[in-house]
Amino acid sequence: MPFLPSTRLMLFMLGSIGLITLPHAWHIPPLLFGFFTLLLLWRLLSVWQPRYLPNRFGVFLLMLLGIGLLYSQQHSVFGRDAGTSLFVVALGLKLLEIHGRRDVYVIVYLAFIVAVTQFLYEESILMALYILLVCGVLLATLITQNSQAPQTLAALKTSAAIILQSLPLALVLFVLFPRLEAPHWSWLDNDTHAKSGLSNTLEPGSIAELSLSPELVFRVKFAGDLPPPAQRYWRGPVYATTDGVSWRAPPVLGRENNPDQPAFTGVTYDYTLMMEPQKQNWVFALEMPTQFGAGLRRNGVYQLITNKNPGDRAEYQLSSSPVYNTGGISKTERRENLQLPGKPSEKIVELVKQLQGRQAGPELFIGNLLQHFRQENFHYTLSPEAMPDKPIETFLFERRAGFCSHYATAFVYLLRVAEIPARVVGGYQGGQINDVGGFLEIRQADAHAWAEAWLEGRGWVRFDPTAAIAPERIERGVNVDLQIASGAVNFSPIQLDAKTLSWLQRGRQLWQSVDYNWQRWIINYDTVNQRAFLQSLGIDNFVKLGYWLLISVAGVGGVLAWRLLRPNLRRQDPALMLYRQFCAKLSKAGIKVDVGDGPKTVAERAKGLRPDLAEAIERITAIYIRLRYQSDTEASDLQVLKKLVASFRV
Amino acid sequence: MSEAALPLKQRLKLSRFFSGEAPTAGPIVLTQRRVFILPTQRGLAFVLLILLLVLIGFVYNNNLAYLLGFLLASIFFVTILHSFKALAGLTIQPARPQAVFAGQAGPYSFQISNPGSQPRFAVDLTLQSELSISLAAEQTQIVTLYQPTHQRGWQLPGTLTVSSTYPLGLFRAWAPLRFDSPLLVYPKPANQQLPFPESGGGQDKPGQNRRSGDEFDGVRVYQRGDAIRQIHWKAFAKGQGVHSKYYSGASSSELWLDYQQAPGHHLEERLSQLCRWLVDAEQAGLRYGLVLPGLRLPPDNGAAHYRNCLQALALF
Repeated sequence: MPFLPSTRLMLFMLGSIGLITLPHAWHIPPLLFGFFTLLLLWRLLSVWQPRYLPNRFGVFLLMLLGIGLLYSQQHSVFGRDAGTSLFVVALGLKLLEIHGRRDVYVIVYLAFIVAVTQFLYEESILMALYILLVCGVLLATLITQNSQAPQTLAALKTSAAIILQSLPLALVLFVLFPRLEAPHWSWLDNDTHAKSGLSNTLEPGSIAELSLSPELVFRVKFAGDLPPPAQRYWRGPVYATTDGVSWRAPPVLGRENNPDQPAFTGVTYDYTLMMEPQKQNWVFALEMPTQFGAGLRRNGVYQLITNKNPGDRAEYQLSSSPVYNTGGISKTERRENLQLPGKPSEKIVELVKQLQGRQAGPELFIGNLLQHFRQENFHYTLSPEAMPDKPIETFLFERRAGFCSHYATAFVYLLRVAEIPARVVGGYQGGQINDVGGFLEIRQADAHAWAEAWLEGRGWVRFDPTAAIAPERIERGVNVDLQIASGAVNFSPIQLDAKTLSWLQRGRQLWQSVDYNWQRWIINYDTVNQRAFLQSLGIDNFVKLGYWLLISVAGVGGVLAWRLLRPNLRRQDPALMLYRQFCAKLSKAGIKVDVGDGPKTVAERAKGLRPDLAEAIERITAIYIRLRYQSDTEASDLQVLKKLVASFRV
Repeated sequence: MSEAALPLKQRLKLSRFFSGEAPTAGPIVLTQRRVFILPTQRGLAFVLLILLLVLIGFVYNNNLAYLLGFLLASIFFVTILHSFKALAGLTIQPARPQAVFAGQAGPYSFQISNPGSQPRFAVDLTLQSELSISLAAEQTQIVTLYQPTHQRGWQLPGTLTVSSTYPLGLFRAWAPLRFDSPLLVYPKPANQQLPFPESGGGQDKPGQNRRSGDEFDGVRVYQRGDAIRQIHWKAFAKGQGVHSKYYSGASSSELWLDYQQAPGHHLEERLSQLCRWLVDAEQAGLRYGLVLPGLRLPPDNGAAHYRNCLQALALF
């Protein structure tokens, strides 16, 4: 009998395959995705017009075309992109030759592989839910294959039930299945997605670009109290070299000489920091980190560097103390942090002199300078006019409006003219508290630049000139929602629509909290996390883990089996069951009970053969008939029937 | 309906998996003792798929790939339970089969009832022929499956296999059942049309070789056992009730079918010939008696007599 997949089955299958491949439109070369779409549409059309299907030769030609396209686009079959393309094209080609049930299975299995490749590109909770739903439809396809008269809704319901029943066991396996650190194969790396964020150079305007980005950079969960907002400086790259326009972080190599551990006094904050995928291997610790894990090191400018792949999400256990003294300064360091691009202009030298830059001590000068910013009508704005030529002078003497990077660079420049070692520090400031999850979220919009000056006896000390102009920026942080709603940073809180905004914020916080836990417990559950979690359960070796795995799988499976198999045995009419026992006893005595024999017929025959039992047979039959077919049953009937059947001896 | 527990030795017998336990007469409820489950080829391929997904998860350190792999693994496990559920609780009872002539396909009927509240999709029944049915909740269905017959006598049905690959086709659950509901197989009627034997079995009067209905004698009220062709349809059509035409030849002369007179080299050939005569005589509406060594059925006609005679031949 030739296999003819029903129209319903085909639509089911093609629909789910279309859905499962759809997100790859953004991942694989357009030519290959186009080829796949063409094949899918071709197959869809052939559901109604089977004569349009290509013959074997046609499929062969298409296969050659597919191989050609794959080769021209990927040059390889290894690696994430090439592998994904290969499976997508194979799936498309397989669609054109469905000759038997076996082919349907091959297609569904291929679709599952394509589904898993989606996770190599995106691991969000939404993608996971999407794939789960489409997998449900794929399972429903298989159910349709194995039922007599399938109904779409019933098949979908069954597949949903199967998935729900499977989830607990899947979670147990997920938690207990040993995670081994996979070797890092370089041929698998082709992650070329550009990420925004701080870079090695600080150009005027580079931070302004970030100020509207709600993209998450990292999240922090404190073990105890949170530091006050004014101390939430997350240290990033240090920009010390300037050409007058842009500032660069000194090359990290050559500065590996581990600086002395600063002297810490006062409170210490312990926290877990979870970095989102980044371009650079920087970890933004709260100033100043006192302790950090083995995967991290501190470079010469007190910045934490990770040796993990920055493209992966990673979690770090850190401690920081906001009160510190970095101690002395080396000659090289002093020279580097006094570097100026040529001689400063007359105007600047005049300004420094006016602020008592060289006569009084550095601390007085810095105080004067901050006072100057406050009093001389300086403004904070995220959309300043461009200052391509001599940005520092233009800013100080003409525009007097800028944002953090303008203030920080101008501040450092003036300090250096006053022969105080100073540098610009980039990073993030503030962060938004997620009430639901109880953690801080730091976004690109929180990117910030501040200054650091070296003072005798105090070491490197942080100064934030922006705080002098716009203290709200530091105290309250950036209101990302407001910012995005209004399209610009605005520190005078205009009440856009307070209620809507609060709902918006609340919703975002809830979502972020869910996402945080998703990232933390699902995506980021690696060898280290697993070991920590399992040790908290008292599992410290593989034998124990094996027992746990066995016991919990058996336990969950047992509960499931009990739940699933129970109802079938209960639903039977007890009277019928008792009557069947009675019939079984009769058959044992050689009284044949045939299918279709009514109870009366059986009774007559039995009485004829065994007159000695006539009374019992009659009573059993009468009560049974009353219980099964009549409404005037008595409450005790079932009990009586039970007793009679039990005592019935042949 | 609890069945007696099986001793361990029988429980481990391999034949239980293929041909089922010893035949029983009564209804069989499919329980864990009767139902066996093994993965199909597709199920094994599914295992490979799971391994591949977990491998992808390992190579790319991707927890969601792991998770999907584990989900499919759990689905694989849960499907075992569903496969069992597809058959568990079904009650199968053989119906008394209709007798056939040897060489015809032997029909075996079974009553299959689904006592649960769960509908059953695609339950495959295999004897020699195959049938796929679905049962709604609390539905009972009677199915007939065929098995070739070769020899006269009682013939037991072979192993009835009730199976299902529902829901995902990853597992096949099957229950091999054997029932003690034999089918009566009559001898195969001989092919050649020989004239009826000349003389009656052991009687002085020579047997008739005349076809009945030679001399129309009259009409009498229909009696059970009168042949259909004797019914006086014209009178029936006029609303005069059912009457049979009465032939002198049919009543006065009786046909004796005697084993001794049947041609043939051996027992089976003779029985086959007798069977042929029986069929012909019944069709012709004759009154016939059967004489076998040690058995003598007095002349009569009608369905019951016909069956008795054939049964005597079948079991001789």
